[in-house]
Amino acid sequence: MGKYIEMIRIRFLMMLAYRTNYYSGILIYSINIGAYYFLWNAIYGDKGSIEGMSALQMTSYISIAWMARAFYFNNIDREIAQEIKEGKVAIEFIRPYNYLLMKTMQGLGEGIFRLSFFSVPGMVVVMFIFPIAFSTNPATWLLFALALVFSFLINMQINLLTGILTFFFYNNMGLIRAKRVVIDLFSGLLLPISFFPGWAQKIMDFLPFQGISYVPSMIFTESFSGSEVINAVLFQVVWVLILILPIQILWLIARKQLVVQGG
Amino acid sequence: MENMIEVKELRKEFKSHSSRSGLKGAFRDLLTRNYKVVPAVNDISFSVKRGEMVGYIGENGAGKSTSIKMLTGILTPTSGTVRVNGMDPHKEREQFVRSIGVVFGQRSQLWWDIAVQESFRLLKKVYNVPDDVYNVHMNHVIESLDIGPLLDKPVRKLSLGQRMRCELAAALLHNPPLLFLDEPTIGLDVLVKLKIREFLKEMNAKYNTTVLLTTHDLSDIEALCERVVMLDEGKIIYDGQLSSLRSNWGEGKQIEFQFADTAVTKHSLQPLLAELDAAWTPGNRQNVWIANVLNEEHVISEVIGRVVAAHKITDLKVHEISIEDIIRNIYEEGITNG
Amino acid sequence: MKYVQLFFQYAAQYMKTRLTYRTDMVVEIFSDLMSQAVNFVFILLVFGHTTMISGWSREEIIFIYGFFLVPFAIFGAFFNIWDFNDRYIVKGEMDRILTRPIHSLFQIVLERMELESLFGVITGIAVMLYAGSLLDLSMAWYDPFIFVLLVLGGTLVYASIFVLIASISFWSDSPTSIMPMMYNIGNYGRYPVNIYNNVIRFVLTWILPFAFVGVYPAAYFLGREDWYTYAFLTPVVGLVFFTFSIFMWNVGVTKYRGAGN
Repeated sequence: MGKYIEMIRIRFLMMLAYRTNYYSGILIYSINIGAYYFLWNAIYGDKGSIEGMSALQMTSYISIAWMARAFYFNNIDREIAQEIKEGKVAIEFIRPYNYLLMKTMQGLGEGIFRLSFFSVPGMVVVMFIFPIAFSTNPATWLLFALALVFSFLINMQINLLTGILTFFFYNNMGLIRAKRVVIDLFSGLLLPISFFPGWAQKIMDFLPFQGISYVPSMIFTESFSGSEVINAVLFQVVWVLILILPIQILWLIARKQLVVQGG
Repeated sequence: MENMIEVKELRKEFKSHSSRSGLKGAFRDLLTRNYKVVPAVNDISFSVKRGEMVGYIGENGAGKSTSIKMLTGILTPTSGTVRVNGMDPHKEREQFVRSIGVVFGQRSQLWWDIAVQESFRLLKKVYNVPDDVYNVHMNHVIESLDIGPLLDKPVRKLSLGQRMRCELAAALLHNPPLLFLDEPTIGLDVLVKLKIREFLKEMNAKYNTTVLLTTHDLSDIEALCERVVMLDEGKIIYDGQLSSLRSNWGEGKQIEFQFADTAVTKHSLQPLLAELDAAWTPGNRQNVWIANVLNEEHVISEVIGRVVAAHKITDLKVHEISIEDIIRNIYEEGITNG
Repeated sequence: MKYVQLFFQYAAQYMKTRLTYRTDMVVEIFSDLMSQAVNFVFILLVFGHTTMISGWSREEIIFIYGFFLVPFAIFGAFFNIWDFNDRYIVKGEMDRILTRPIHSLFQIVLERMELESLFGVITGIAVMLYAGSLLDLSMAWYDPFIFVLLVLGGTLVYASIFVLIASISFWSDSPTSIMPMMYNIGNYGRYPVNIYNNVIRFVLTWILPFAFVGVYPAAYFLGREDWYTYAFLTPVVGLVFFTFSIFMWNVGVTKYRGAGN
């Protein structure tokens, strides 16, 4: 276990080393949240509420969705694809650790870095500029933190899946790019899932994406009530468990293929 | 003869920042950083005549590639002047680079995915070479380097030796009067090396091409260059004839004996060299010993005579001290000892 | 003239290599279409809950988005140098570029071009035609020429911002994170700038002038006369910013430190 924790630490240090990225990160996340804030205020106009959410709840939703994104978002899929293309993965197989777990830990190190250095200060900045509703209920914060962990896991698992797919489609950068924009929409980052037409929401219930952004953001803004919260977190847990299966299967096939073809 | 390259008090400094250790250090690095100004090239001056082939040597980090990059216009000097082929490489870069050819052994000039001849065609356009000039010159180059059969293959399918010959052809496509070669033979087998050397000599003879050659392989330098410029820690420590390097610092010879008796020890051999100014060093096998002696007839005959008289030997070789040993000695002991 | 010839030479080579990796090209175009579709769907979803955004109707917003796609596609085909720092500075490919007798940025544009991105021009025009027909827009004979001019202006705006950010690599170790984020900021040019507050509007107009890629020039075709001044400033802003970015690039080249030192 020690080596995995070390990996988190190393990645954290690596992120610290690039200080220009750090400064620009805070600035850019704030700009991002700000721009959506205005867009949504314009959309609300003088309407009091849309789909049961007030304008204030919506802007809080958007802010927290971006803040959460800083935590769960990473480029591990790209990294895996790169390592596969450069043949480095073959070397990783002979190392005494689980490659996928290692990548997850690297992602976690990156996430913790961004959470503490991008999102929290960014959020403070945003808070001073725009009105945002923060809950005072500690239970909400606790559940939010829990949901955030699961959203990291689901996003990570999807990243691992797309990364591993490089074994089968040699150049899948395009796929990775497409995946990213689709996730931004279907995860509820750009707008809450409740804004989708009814039939689309039904389909989304059978997909893991809303577990990434919609669930934690709705919990944070207290737009979910009572049993909805528990159901939402359970939804995340179920998906974390389900996604283990395809990853393991694809990974096994990939390994076999690697052994046979020699990378 | 006019000078092709003129370098006066050339200097290049790099700012390097040192990271503090640990997590706490990394946090402090976020706010302030420690800078240190390091001169990679420290006020060097030299000149190269048209048609000369000069070996440019030094250990890693001695400032070789930094100075080459200033000569080719890639980097701007911190101070000092560079005139190459009558131009300032960085200021008149686009005009200047037409007159040079560059081969970086570890970096490809050719396009990875397309056939070699397509790369040539592109470069021909890039350098604006007229068809007739191109045909005459390149046909000759292609023939000399024996790359005709490779032209329709994509670069990624070539072996290192094949690729290197194509790189060389690409660098010479516009028939530049000056050629910079940075590790052109790295990782190549002997036959390819010989072919490349032969070709460079031919180009030098035919077009009076000036060549500046950087390499770790001193046999390249011995085969091609009469003159070497040696760098250490950003300064020139030797600039002169390769042959005088040998006569000044490599006056000794090595006599290698292989004894029939495996029990021979340094101790038992010691008396044989008694008053002769010589010393034994162990060879690469158990019963092999090397006598390091002065390069004088009577000493050599005397040593061989005494050893053969005292012990049975199975083999005997006389070596000149290699240029590599000489250079290693210079770096280890400094030029003043010579 | 020589640069034009070179361009076609490179383009021909590009097509040859791309055709050997056909699936890549299809996936690339597919992923472009996908992100265009996502943005389109977002607009549709939002208008499922409202009819006007700050005085702009659904069709107008769609039209602006369609216009935005055209300069963005041309930018993507030629100036998409987001990996400049990694590829050219860290890996030292810049050394090779600098030993050739062509302007360094032009060489990089030639080497990095991704012509399949031009597919977005078609999507963009299609979206504009769709929205335009719903809006009953009429077209004068000179409109296509103005279109070309405004598209070029918008492309230059986009290109200059990315060239400027790439130039930072000559001074600083790693501006890599700014590049991907610029795409996000760039997206805000797709919406009418009057929804933002004055500060952001100012930034999008004069500092990172992404508004000149979408809403300002599109306003001309939508007949929004109060925006005409900005619409016709598009080529000027494009030229000024592009000139400035080339200047910064040229200064940056003299600060280039080389790889591995």
